[in-house]
Amino acid sequence: MTDPMTDPVLDAQAIIRGRRAWPLPKQADPNAPLLVVEHLTTRFKMAGGSIKAVDDVSFTLNDGEALGIAGESGCGKTTTALSLVRLLPANGRIGKDSSVKLFGIDLAKKSEDALRRYRWREISIIFQGAMNALNPVRRINEQIAEPIELRLKADKADALKRAGELLELVGIPARRGQAYPHELSGGMRQRAMIAMALACDPAVVIGDEPTTALDVMVQAQILELLERLRRELGLSLILITHDLSVIAETCDRVMVMYAGKVAEEGAVSVIFTTPRHPYTQKLIGAFPNIHADRRTLDVIPGSPPDLREPPPGCRFHPRCPFAMAVCSVEVPPEVTFADGVRVACHLYPPGSDGLPITEPTKDALVQPADSAGPGLGAGVFGDEEFALELRGETVEPESAEHTFSPSHGLTDDRSLDDFK
Amino acid sequence: MTTEVLPEAAIRNERLRLRLKSIRSFWRRFAARPDGVIGVVVLIFFSILAIAPGFFVGPLQTVITATGLPLDPPSTAHWLGTDELGRDILNLTVHGTRISMFIGLLATVITILLGAMIGIVSGYVGGRTDTFLMRVTDFFLVLPTFVLALILAPIILDIVGAGSEVFGIRVTLIVIVIVIGITSWASTARIIRSQTLSVKERAFVGRARVIGSGGGHIMWRHILPNTMNLIVANTVLVFGGAILTETTLSFIGLGDPFAPSWGEILNAAESAGAMGLGAWWYVVPPSVCIVLVVLAFTLVGSALDDVLNPRLRVRR
Repeated sequence: MTDPMTDPVLDAQAIIRGRRAWPLPKQADPNAPLLVVEHLTTRFKMAGGSIKAVDDVSFTLNDGEALGIAGESGCGKTTTALSLVRLLPANGRIGKDSSVKLFGIDLAKKSEDALRRYRWREISIIFQGAMNALNPVRRINEQIAEPIELRLKADKADALKRAGELLELVGIPARRGQAYPHELSGGMRQRAMIAMALACDPAVVIGDEPTTALDVMVQAQILELLERLRRELGLSLILITHDLSVIAETCDRVMVMYAGKVAEEGAVSVIFTTPRHPYTQKLIGAFPNIHADRRTLDVIPGSPPDLREPPPGCRFHPRCPFAMAVCSVEVPPEVTFADGVRVACHLYPPGSDGLPITEPTKDALVQPADSAGPGLGAGVFGDEEFALELRGETVEPESAEHTFSPSHGLTDDRSLDDFK
Repeated sequence: MTTEVLPEAAIRNERLRLRLKSIRSFWRRFAARPDGVIGVVVLIFFSILAIAPGFFVGPLQTVITATGLPLDPPSTAHWLGTDELGRDILNLTVHGTRISMFIGLLATVITILLGAMIGIVSGYVGGRTDTFLMRVTDFFLVLPTFVLALILAPIILDIVGAGSEVFGIRVTLIVIVIVIGITSWASTARIIRSQTLSVKERAFVGRARVIGSGGGHIMWRHILPNTMNLIVANTVLVFGGAILTETTLSFIGLGDPFAPSWGEILNAAESAGAMGLGAWWYVVPPSVCIVLVVLAFTLVGSALDDVLNPRLRVRR
């Protein structure tokens, strides 16, 4: 880890940044990680007070990495992503302590005007619902050419030519760019949206539910396309979705959010096989398992809290099967495990390092799983796996032997492949 | 048959193919509306008259070049009779087409430009700008056309000088055009504003803003094309209304006596006491023309509204 030449993360960083179409912004620190978000808080001012839609969220995205943000509707996934470039409704505000560092440049401190330079050029978005995000009365290639003309100051002919190349890149014949959105299929429209997001060769692409409202076959094609683009272009991706299979298939790391806070974050292969946070366990338990005998899915009782008056302490405690007395009083601190997973839950107090405390208040729901956590190959796991993925090699997911199984069987023994 | 097609050529071909396809589909839908088709035929007929009146009836007759007796009823020499000065009514009516259509066209252009601009800016910018522009619109909406015309006409004529010309158009006509323009843009602005309000909330406008487009770019490239169906249908309706207003203004004596529009002919007929004398041929031809043209514009306008508005479109 100390020698930069052998660090797979820094390796990928050097390769991908070397391929950039233009130099890094002037203020950029070439050695800084791609994107470091710290203490991001986003509030919406409402008639009856303000809502903390995103509360103290921190995460990192490395070059070439794909981070999935998962969670129920209204838990702050999209707001988190849009806060990065401050694309908020008029009543949205980002907290003073928040920092969004892209190449070490703090975007949260930038003025609206200064930020415009980064929008779409460095951070672009694949919007959900391509039909609505495309202007119905303008041709596809003109719309893809628009950011190239506006942001890169290219002339119209060059921009249209590049738009054609981008369409070919996402698998649409360039001549189809002459069509209007309604003349394309749903999958093609989504491809066109992806082409538009790639128009300025951005450092980070945010996919805001890019496969929602597409049928399963088209969904698979779009995910395959994103995979290919990541391989070929070294795309760094933030994928927002409530579909865990999408994350299992495309992402290196996953961040599970609940009510505006991070519940658990770590490598996909670890979190899907050994979820630690009860919410993650429930979420994964709610995912159909085609290999299991059970006909019914786990459900999470209740619904996400009203963010105007979030529950005190851990926001998940009213719905948590393992809730203890402390949960309704204190906000759980984030604990980082040896395998790189970050969890915010009182079951894992600081220093416990992976061993859940053994005395939950409710009828002994937690079995101390002796092999959980520390058994995983210390620390480097997440990084190495990511680097391997970059080179197009597949990593066998960790087997289910480390599964932390609460007694009433939240998770069956499943491998990562079961989610794909 | 595997000739290498250059991508640029392929793109051009595709563009042409799609354009032809959309024109064909537009025409198919329009042709399914017989009223609209009849309207178009009538308008084409009058447009041809307006473009080359001399080709059909010779030069405009004046007092000096009048060819008949005063108030002669229709005959083989004068199919529609003559006026009190012996001028051929057919000649006057056909030449009147040009003036009426020309004034209608100019007034429509002013109306639509003003209306669309104010409507889009007001709807898109919103806030105080919107409030201010809409109060101004309200003012013009309730402004009585004739009162305004009666006040404006002498003022403008006094400033510019009656009989002088602006861009080769007689000032009196310009006054009529201006009066029609500023009294009819308000309703267009309201219609366009309401459409703008709905379009600006659509996701692609937000996307355009993310890309970094400024307000002007968004209004011009995104909002305007999406209000085009309303603008086109509205243009046609405003055109008919403008011709009607021109007729009325000319009839009450605000027109240009040297440029016989249909309203001007009716005004002359009224001064000559044509109806009292039983000279129906003096009154009927311009009136029929006005009714036909206005009706045709209305028919085409409503047909276009149907064809261009996907929500009103009946699936067949």
